[in-house]
Amino acid sequence: MNRKSLLSILLGLLVIFALALAACGGTTTTQEEPAVVEEPTVAEPAVEEPAATEEPAAEEPAATEEPAATEEPAAEEPAAETEADPNALPRNETLYNNGQQWGAVVGWNPYSNSNNNAMAIAQQDNARVIMFETPYLYNMLDGQVYPLLADGPYEWNDARTELTFKIKPAAHWNDGTPVTAEDVAYTWATHIKYNTPTGAANIDFIEDIVAVDAQTVTIKAKLNEDGAAVNPLLVAAYVSTNYVIQKAWTETLEERVAGDATALLADTAEDVAYSGPYGKYFADDSKVIYVRDDNYWGQDASMWGKLPVPKYLAHTIFKDNAAGTTALQAGEVDVSQQFNANVQDLWLVDGLPISTYLPDAPYGIGASLPTAFFNLNSPGLDQVAVRKAIAMAVDYPTIIANAMTNQSATFDQVPRSLMNPTAGEQATYDHEAVADLQWVGNDIDGANAMLDEAGIVDTDGDGIREYNGENLSYIALCPNGWSDWQAAIEVVAAAGEKIGIEITTNFPEWSVYQTVVTKSDAPLPEDYDIFMMWSDGAGPTQPWGRIRKLMSSEFIGMASNWNGNWGQYSNPDADALINAIPGMTDPAALNEAYTELVRIYLTDVPSFTLMYRPQSFHTVNESVWTNFPHDGDGTEPPVPPLNLTDGWSIAGLYNLELVNP
Amino acid sequence: MKHTLRQVFRSGKFVTGFIIFSAILLTVIFYPMIIRDDPLQIIGQGTFFPPGIYVNIADSMSSTRYILNLDDAAAKRIASKLNDADREAIREWLVGAGIPEGDIDIANTESLLGLWVSNYDTTVRIPGMTNADRNYYIRLNRSLDGLLSEEGVTIAATNPDTNALEATGTVELTEYANIREVANVRILPLGTDNFGRDVLTQLVTATGVSLRIGFVAGLIATLIGLVLGLVSGYIGGVVDDVILFITNLFTVIPGFILLVLISFSIGQEQRGAFVIAVVIGLTSWVWTTRAVRAQVISLRNRDHVNLSKLSGHSIAHIIIRDVLPYIASYVIMAFILQISSAILAEAALSILGLGPRTTDVPTLGLMMNWALIYQAHILGKWWAYLPIILVIALIAFSLNLMNTGLDQVFNPALRD
Repeated sequence: MNRKSLLSILLGLLVIFALALAACGGTTTTQEEPAVVEEPTVAEPAVEEPAATEEPAAEEPAATEEPAATEEPAAEEPAAETEADPNALPRNETLYNNGQQWGAVVGWNPYSNSNNNAMAIAQQDNARVIMFETPYLYNMLDGQVYPLLADGPYEWNDARTELTFKIKPAAHWNDGTPVTAEDVAYTWATHIKYNTPTGAANIDFIEDIVAVDAQTVTIKAKLNEDGAAVNPLLVAAYVSTNYVIQKAWTETLEERVAGDATALLADTAEDVAYSGPYGKYFADDSKVIYVRDDNYWGQDASMWGKLPVPKYLAHTIFKDNAAGTTALQAGEVDVSQQFNANVQDLWLVDGLPISTYLPDAPYGIGASLPTAFFNLNSPGLDQVAVRKAIAMAVDYPTIIANAMTNQSATFDQVPRSLMNPTAGEQATYDHEAVADLQWVGNDIDGANAMLDEAGIVDTDGDGIREYNGENLSYIALCPNGWSDWQAAIEVVAAAGEKIGIEITTNFPEWSVYQTVVTKSDAPLPEDYDIFMMWSDGAGPTQPWGRIRKLMSSEFIGMASNWNGNWGQYSNPDADALINAIPGMTDPAALNEAYTELVRIYLTDVPSFTLMYRPQSFHTVNESVWTNFPHDGDGTEPPVPPLNLTDGWSIAGLYNLELVNP
Repeated sequence: MKHTLRQVFRSGKFVTGFIIFSAILLTVIFYPMIIRDDPLQIIGQGTFFPPGIYVNIADSMSSTRYILNLDDAAAKRIASKLNDADREAIREWLVGAGIPEGDIDIANTESLLGLWVSNYDTTVRIPGMTNADRNYYIRLNRSLDGLLSEEGVTIAATNPDTNALEATGTVELTEYANIREVANVRILPLGTDNFGRDVLTQLVTATGVSLRIGFVAGLIATLIGLVLGLVSGYIGGVVDDVILFITNLFTVIPGFILLVLISFSIGQEQRGAFVIAVVIGLTSWVWTTRAVRAQVISLRNRDHVNLSKLSGHSIAHIIIRDVLPYIASYVIMAFILQISSAILAEAALSILGLGPRTTDVPTLGLMMNWALIYQAHILGKWWAYLPIILVIALIAFSLNLMNTGLDQVFNPALRD
């Protein structure tokens, strides 16, 4: 009797244990999936920061309170509209997105970057400005910045140590109070005081941000020993990558958290003031909805002159890419930021009213360079000949056609360098000077000849070359579940066989992979020989920022390196050029410096680009809305294909039209 | 023995299952002898090429030309580029551009194309036209180019000296090539997958690997189940208690969850096809143990067993000589079922991304996994997943049929 009861208790515990384990396993896999599409938009989580504590209970009541707050302006109208049911929004007033938000929103705090609130908060090269606004908007198509909260272009002083701009008199917060220079200055002060991720990322370049008067802001650059700005490029980038946050609200927040930095970053900020055209309407674990502020300052003639067209922006939280694609096909999604394999089939085969920015391959504008890094400490990979031979033998057309289903320019169209395919970046280096270094791939003979010449040959007849008596045998890796990267790595591995180098693949879980490759204070482990990571996309500091992150040795030694150069390449010549470029203003000298960097990169091959990838995937379904940005749409300046949320692409929200008005 | 076999092959169910299974097995054995392509070689640059016969265009131009005067050739050519929906779309565009509706006859290809060619302009913005429509018209316009031409197609080559294009010949519209005379023709009965690999060749290899996984896993599971069941059932007492306790533990934990947890913790680098087979085998012996034990308990007090005991035979001798033969038929049936469920388990594991690592060998589950990742089911690329589902279903079906057939033979109570 006794034994039996003991046994049943034991068994019961085991079952519970097994179920709990299984449940954990389940969630990890579902979270892994979205990472496939999240990856291009990953901004460097520059510094470690305390994870925001989730307070799901607090969100529920707030969801119902919020509409009341935004109703204030609407109350001026005699017949206030009845609020729409979040489960049945008027289709003709709602723009649906996918591919941005995975999992429930945690918070609305613009100081923190662990809100998991992708549509509202993303301070990055192309900052997302539907709710919070930056002084300037970056346009990846022409490389220019355009004033948003700012009034007219910014100005450097003659020594390029101070940058000054004005705030538009019309700009005001959703509570009606004006946006002032003091707000900009106080935002910076708060970033520094509480050591936020933004503060930590910029403190080495920005000395201070001060309000000269109510409208005028001056950013003082940090100076080096010669009295010149340490990095004027990053100072100028600050104005288009970081939000202006209301001083009055910040003070309320500081009071609430009693000056505690951790609590400040963890605050869910349901009461936050914002200057952008949309605010929170509804959020739970199935969807997040933003509603237009009809009192938005941007309808002033000094900015847009009107309100953005859709009243609601909605984002259903899908389980995975396949669910998102199905919704796009059904017309339940208008703008898709997802990797849809074989996207052309949606219109060619299915005949759906779906289109991309470009009508034919590569369908979008390539902006980032997914890259295979070599572990420069692996035996054999310390030899340039081996690295370059592998890079030359890889079948890039197959990677682009099969892994990316042609959603990338080919290396015939855009020869390899350190620059992305946009015209602006391509113009920064001398193509002729490096033409003989730009391999196109599939060059088995060339690769074999290079290895033979370097004396790296197969002496024991097993079909595999040796270096120092050891077979050249490597493992190529990328995170499991990142499908297009996995397919690309398979093609890289296939190239090895043809040139007498054994390459096998391994796909560890992202949680393991990321800790290993970002640990740059020690040599990479032996079984990480060739591995894939990303590079920067388009932004105001590019191509310099990308080159720095691919080649600069400053990241070696960082315990948690989310910047780049994960293969731990070090070249003093490259470092000197990377340090000099931000201070250079002469176009000819810049061109020369960039060309030299490309030459070093293509000669030393510390890593190599596998494909081009758009900043965001941008596929639209024109069942309800039309006049989305597309190539040759006649907009001036051109609206980039960034889902009508990022940087200058927000201008697209003002051009939308209904298909059936 | 002979009698039993004859009886077994008289069972309709067994024979049906046996034929299906043998057909699969024979294909797996003989196909690679005839088609010697590497199943994992990437041949297609692009994803999901549809099933069909692929003829090399350059080779077909240089092969012998035969002139066939077929009446419907022109009509077929036009129909392939301009279907009824396209005609209707052209009409819509022309009306939108201000052409009087009465002037448009969509049935008359010549006049329709005449109107189209003289009016179509990519820069004209028709009210209510979306960008998707605009792209459609651009594509349509491109494909209609020269559709009504009766002239042949001129082939040109670049002169290396002058870099100018020089005509090297023409292809008349009435010229045909005999597919048997074209040097390079590749038949892809099931098209290609997301990597550009030949699906059929891969499917055959994968079926072989999956069968091997099933066999190894089934063997392990049956052996463990058999040994534990025999020992536990025959010896009884404390040994029985301990074995039964462990068996009950594993019975309560869902086997598949255990399988997922073990596969996950092994890590991808260790997961070869053989390791997966062992893991599946180690997690699926439970029911065999219980059933064998139950049968052995009923056998253990039979007269011939007691006689053997009295004769002083060892326990091993009694178990092998006097107990095992009586449950052999059951064990064989259990083994067949174990194979079938192991193949299903591998497929289920691989679909979750926990199967064997990709580069080494194809398995049925891995093929399904990649087809799902590249959304073949959403894009209607049936050849990338349907044949695999069919093969899995056929293997499981044939093995189960064989099992049921055997059951009827060995268990007279079940005979019709």
